[in-house]
Amino acid sequence: MDLYLPIAEVSVNAPLLVALGAFVGFISGVFGIGGGFLMAPVLVFMGVPPAMAVASQANHVVASSTSSVIAYSRQRSVDWRMGGVMAAGGVIGAFLGVEVFRLLRLLGQADLVVALSYLIFLGVIGGLMLVESLQAVVRRRRGQAAPRRKVRHPKWLYGLPWRMRFPRSRLYISILPPLALGIFAGVLSAIMGVGGGFILVPAMVYLLRMRASVVVGTSLFQIIVTTAVTTVLQAGRNQTVDILLSVLLMVGGVLGAQLGARASNRFRPDSLRAVLALIVLLVGLQMGIGLFVPPPDPFAFAPGTGQ
Amino acid sequence: MIPLAAPPVDAAAVSAALTETRVEVTSEFHGARIVLYGAVFTPDGKPADVVVVVRGPEQPVRLVRKIRVAGVWLNSRPVVFEGAPGFYMAASSKPLSSVAGFGVLRRAGIGVDHLRIEAPEEARTVTWYGVRDVVVSRLGADYLDWRRAVIRLKEKSGLYKVDPKGVQYVDQGLFKAEVDLPTEAPIGRYEAEVWLFRDGRPVSSKTRSLTVEKVGAERAVYEFAHERSWLYGFACVAIALLSGWAASIFFRRS
Repeated sequence: MDLYLPIAEVSVNAPLLVALGAFVGFISGVFGIGGGFLMAPVLVFMGVPPAMAVASQANHVVASSTSSVIAYSRQRSVDWRMGGVMAAGGVIGAFLGVEVFRLLRLLGQADLVVALSYLIFLGVIGGLMLVESLQAVVRRRRGQAAPRRKVRHPKWLYGLPWRMRFPRSRLYISILPPLALGIFAGVLSAIMGVGGGFILVPAMVYLLRMRASVVVGTSLFQIIVTTAVTTVLQAGRNQTVDILLSVLLMVGGVLGAQLGARASNRFRPDSLRAVLALIVLLVGLQMGIGLFVPPPDPFAFAPGTGQ
Repeated sequence: MIPLAAPPVDAAAVSAALTETRVEVTSEFHGARIVLYGAVFTPDGKPADVVVVVRGPEQPVRLVRKIRVAGVWLNSRPVVFEGAPGFYMAASSKPLSSVAGFGVLRRAGIGVDHLRIEAPEEARTVTWYGVRDVVVSRLGADYLDWRRAVIRLKEKSGLYKVDPKGVQYVDQGLFKAEVDLPTEAPIGRYEAEVWLFRDGRPVSSKTRSLTVEKVGAERAVYEFAHERSWLYGFACVAIALLSGWAASIFFRRS
């Protein structure tokens, strides 16, 4: 069944979109990421203009993240205070990011920056996660104990001013690192159309050394705030949010996210990370390869001014 | 046989009508096919050629060229082209070049090569060898490549079409032409021109108009999103938050 999208002005297959939403929602619920980095390339492949895909899926991420944050908060695994600090950064970042994106579009370089961001961020993070999680899997198979983590927290994290207690995360650190992390995620949210979870989750684990059990819920909470702001900004400034597209993705997305959040504690965390790392790496490479392949047509229409 | 005296005014005429003058874009919209049909009156019985031109609302486009820098394909600076109709179809019963000469087609704007697609921002006037106000383009010698690319890309998405067999005679003096609007066809007012050519000269023409518009819910959503865009943004987020919350309530009970 094909449906005409009123804002994006293209016709798409509705059941396929619902299925895509459910799949990405499931992954989102399991891993605590928005899943936007997966959805945008698929939507563009289905013929949705990139600007519409990025903005409309941000709205879908709001819905699926809300659904899973409520599920996580019942398990008391959301650090609201930490999430709030990061979300404040996310709002600042989203404003910056939307302006940067407008400028890039005017210069005609938006495609390049989006492809490079995907290649660099997804490639590096996917690669690091894959190595780390495969090592953990191998150790588990051999029956070795995990190497003792350095218990000592990095010094720079404690030398910074404005320290705050985060009881749920068992941390007493400066608010600057989480705030900076939030700003960074906000900028990415506007440019890549993602929640930034794939950056936040590893950063919260390895940089902030938060308790693992609250990382996913907290990351999702910050993603809700950032993507909600991004949606409003994109709708207000660029008119690129297609509500019908968002709703179709949401229908599948909220269901998938619920199933995902429930399924997440049935898997081993290290194999789970290995799978996520592989997905991240593949998407990053797939987007990046486009930069090196000779284009079929040397000319292309740039978005803006009509079509 | 050579006629003794050619009639001062060619009495041949053409008349035409569209099967639909209004195309409604609803949620099931998947492009539309409209038939233009018409009749040719030739009192003297000599053959005449019919050309049907359909033009959509004009839309400026931004074009970039892919350039290779250090092994990576980058976009060049975007160039704005004006005068490109959002939809263009030229149908005839034989190739346009054998219907009329270059100059006649150019003046009437018939055929994609005769569209007035220009990049005014790139143009500047200079004085060359004492001749003032010579218009040159910053795109230089590649200008034609750029202009051709606009047409080629539009043709690829089904928005531009030149069909030398698009006008079919169904009976003596009675013809029809099919207009295929793709899903991407822009919203707005379209003009269908029907030209009658004889001996390479236009002798009669008719213009019919056609509107493509969004109706019902599609129109309401589109207007809401463009006229009250900030409120629309908040509404979208509210819908997202509500549906996320509703799903979690539903799943808690089940």
